[in-house]
Amino acid sequence: MTHQKADLLQGTLDLLILKALALGPLHGYGIIQRLRQISDDLLEVEQGALYPALYRIEDRGWVRSRWEVNETGRRAKFYRLTRAGERQLAVEEANWDRLALAIAKVRQAT
Amino acid sequence: MIELIHVFLARLRVMFKRNAVIRDIDEEMRLHVEMQQQNNIERGMSKEEARWAALRSFGNLGLMRDIGFESRGGRLSHGGNMIDGLLQDLKYGFRTLLKTRGFTLVAVITLGLGIGATSAVFSLIQGVLLSPPPYQKPEQLVLIEPLRADLQEPNTDGWPAAQWMEWQKQARSLEAVAAYGWTFNFLVLPDGSESIEGMWVTPDYFNALGLKPLLGRTFAESDAAQGAAPVTILGSDLWQRTYNRDPNIVGRTIQISRFNAPVTVVGIMPPGVRFLPSPGASKEPNYNVNAQVDFWLPAVPRPDRLKQPDWDVVARLGSGSTLGEAQAEVAVLAAGQAQQDHDFDGIVPHFQSLTGQMNKDGRRILLPLLGAAGLVLLIACGNVAALLLVWGLGRQEEYAVRCALGARRATLFQQVSTQSLLLALLGGALGVGLAVGIVRVFKVTAGHAIPRLDAVTAGWPVLLGGLGAAVLAAGLAGLVPALRASRLDAMQVIKSAGPKSSAGRGERRLLRLVVIAQTALTLVLLVGAGLLIRTMSNLAGVHTGYDTGHILTMSVTEVQGRQYWQGFHTQALERVSKLPGVEHAAFAWGVPLTGNNWPAAIDIEGQPPASKPSDRTSQPLRAITEDYFNLMGLAVLEGREFRSTDKDTGGPPNVAIVNQEFTDRYFPSAVAVGKRIWLNGRDKPSTEIIGVVTNGRTDDLTHVPAPEVYLPLWQAQAFSKHLVIRATADPRSLVVAVERELRSVDPTAAVENVKTLDQIRRDSLGSRAFAMQLLVGFAGIASILTLVGIYGVLSLSVGARRREIAIRAAVGAQRRAILLLVLMEGLRLIAIGVIVGLAAAIALSRVLTTFLFEVKPTDPATLIGVALLFVFVALLACWVPARRAVKVDPIAALRYE
Repeated sequence: MTHQKADLLQGTLDLLILKALALGPLHGYGIIQRLRQISDDLLEVEQGALYPALYRIEDRGWVRSRWEVNETGRRAKFYRLTRAGERQLAVEEANWDRLALAIAKVRQAT
Repeated sequence: MIELIHVFLARLRVMFKRNAVIRDIDEEMRLHVEMQQQNNIERGMSKEEARWAALRSFGNLGLMRDIGFESRGGRLSHGGNMIDGLLQDLKYGFRTLLKTRGFTLVAVITLGLGIGATSAVFSLIQGVLLSPPPYQKPEQLVLIEPLRADLQEPNTDGWPAAQWMEWQKQARSLEAVAAYGWTFNFLVLPDGSESIEGMWVTPDYFNALGLKPLLGRTFAESDAAQGAAPVTILGSDLWQRTYNRDPNIVGRTIQISRFNAPVTVVGIMPPGVRFLPSPGASKEPNYNVNAQVDFWLPAVPRPDRLKQPDWDVVARLGSGSTLGEAQAEVAVLAAGQAQQDHDFDGIVPHFQSLTGQMNKDGRRILLPLLGAAGLVLLIACGNVAALLLVWGLGRQEEYAVRCALGARRATLFQQVSTQSLLLALLGGALGVGLAVGIVRVFKVTAGHAIPRLDAVTAGWPVLLGGLGAAVLAAGLAGLVPALRASRLDAMQVIKSAGPKSSAGRGERRLLRLVVIAQTALTLVLLVGAGLLIRTMSNLAGVHTGYDTGHILTMSVTEVQGRQYWQGFHTQALERVSKLPGVEHAAFAWGVPLTGNNWPAAIDIEGQPPASKPSDRTSQPLRAITEDYFNLMGLAVLEGREFRSTDKDTGGPPNVAIVNQEFTDRYFPSAVAVGKRIWLNGRDKPSTEIIGVVTNGRTDDLTHVPAPEVYLPLWQAQAFSKHLVIRATADPRSLVVAVERELRSVDPTAAVENVKTLDQIRRDSLGSRAFAMQLLVGFAGIASILTLVGIYGVLSLSVGARRREIAIRAAVGAQRRAILLLVLMEGLRLIAIGVIVGLAAAIALSRVLTTFLFEVKPTDPATLIGVALLFVFVALLACWVPARRAVKVDPIAALRYE
């Protein structure tokens, strides 16, 4: 399995978390799972990185958390995207696209 | 909007319900591990194996919880609320300070020196300048000084009652006008009388100043009437030291000299009431405007003396009128009076605020010293800032990791600030301790340098000054390092991996600026110290004209009355002269450097008579017994000395001896001996000049000799005077024997102020010596701190340039060249600092002008000498890092990098 966690650009994790939550409310463990699924096992976010980022994002008002009971009847803290979070996601996606485009151009130049 | 409210509520929860939040995080983590474990089991692990794998992937759960909490904007603590955040920082700060004891010690001592200096001087300022006198609304009080209209010479007379009584009635801008004068007296005691100093005042004086008695009453108009029973009010200090605060003293009588009848005490004043200036009395022994008043006597103008310039005048401005308006109004009134009466001509009223006048001397010495102490503090802050900055470099990685893990920048900023605040407070504690000690020393040694020093206490002002200085220091020294820590580029630091021991470009530039500033400030202090050292050495070498060694002086006063005067002094002198170890003995009124003399307007043969009172020039008169000139080492150039037959017995004419300067000024082309002077006007008997004596700097060492007139003591019959003794050995050893002899003639005689002439000389230079000692001390501390700073910056620079130096060495640079390379870097810093410092010193040293003697504030020799000395010493400080640079082993250095 290829792990690319070491080279995650700063701020990328925020984008990933917001994107994961854009598809529906999740608990922390679920976010990691969903990111792994949709990246075809390419991305594995470590818990040690996830929670600080998650809390920081919540502190900024982009997500909101609530204790709920999950599909298997287990209690868990669920995070859902707020309106501000949606706006932030759009901003971060745009940023990412710009960056990717820029890098692609640079690469084609050589 | 809703999000904002939500965020706000969440923050509140973090702040105030920290336990709940932490439990929440714990729970979330636990559940996460459980889910992971479940997942692992589903993948085929055993239950135990699955749990361990889950936990392992999580790392340290406790750490995760802490980091998580910080990410939520919380401040880590174990239970409690917001205050705990600060407590936590403090605890953390203490721990790190303890871990790096060397660093802490250096920083705390550095700050302690700066803070100690500043708060010691501040407590002087608080006690001397900022403590208002105990009068009501003292800012409304003004002194009305009589100034000669031509401003040619100082006027030592006061105001005639006829003038100020008129102002009392007419001046609408003045709420009250009161008059006073300085006086002294003796408490007659059986075992040596005690001199006391007081004021005679018009009965409305206390009202005008707003002074309420502690006990009893103030004066009534009737107290001052002709023939009224004498009454007095006592000062709190006298009440305490002589009557032990006995409240029953009010209503009782006391025996003081110069009053034939016992005097009734009618009141006691509160503590801290001091004199108002009486320039006319300033040449009296014991005149000290800054002393507390011992007693007050009531006085009203006598109808037959209305035109005598006897009075000093104080007034209270009416509400709404300014000093300038009042002065203009009184000036008009005075001009009218002068027109009507020629005797009042030539003198104009000059208003001066009482507090301004009171603080003049204190401000002159204390403000420059506060400035100097402030410079020391700044330099100390510079060093500590540099230390913190360099120390912060070693911890960059820690900051970076915490930053990357989500610690907020504000948190880091606060933590580093707390660190420097903690250092500053520790330094402050040390500084306050130092300052308390320094103030104690000041109080013992600086009595002649600083007015009203007795009001200074080493109490809360020191603490307050220390705290203020500490907070200031924390801000100055801590801000930049804290900003740098919180603005750290985390990725950059982590990528470069490994502890970073050398400073980057930015830090090094900052540190260089700090060192340049420190050097400049130190130069200013050094120049000040240098100027004062030169002043003191000039004064030590000044030609006084007399010999101050082995001379003992004491003021001796016969208090029993005029009829005993002659007998007492003749006998006393006889007995003291016979004591073994006494070479010469004399009585003298006007001993050198005490500032004592008797300024009198005299008429001189050949000089035109003065047309009005204000034109009369006053000359300092002195009175001595026969042996005095011999004793002092003054030589009689022409004519003869006094003889014991020059007595006030009616027969022989009155005689006087003048000094060379007097002759030069008034008889430049004639022989002075045989000429006449008149002490009481030309219509009274004259006094014949019988001799000319050499010049001496008797009044003040810094003044060129002035014309002087000496009278025979037996004719002048001076009440106040000193007994002057030249001893064959240590004059101090004679004190007991001399006092015994004096007492045996009259046990009630007052024998006070026992001092050697050398001591008097030292006291007369007190404020200069004090300023010099302090500035030398400050400059010394500043120099050491700056040298440490230069050394540190250069060491750091050598560390950072290790690789460059190694390459130079590898390609064949001579050791000399490398040595020079580092020394030149140091020299550049030092030179810039020195040049800036010299410019600043030239601009600032003017504040010392009044302290300097025979050296200009911009004295080139001092400036250049100080600069060269500092450059030399500073280069020595550069030598050590330069040697280290030479010793860099190219191979090791290059491999290491």
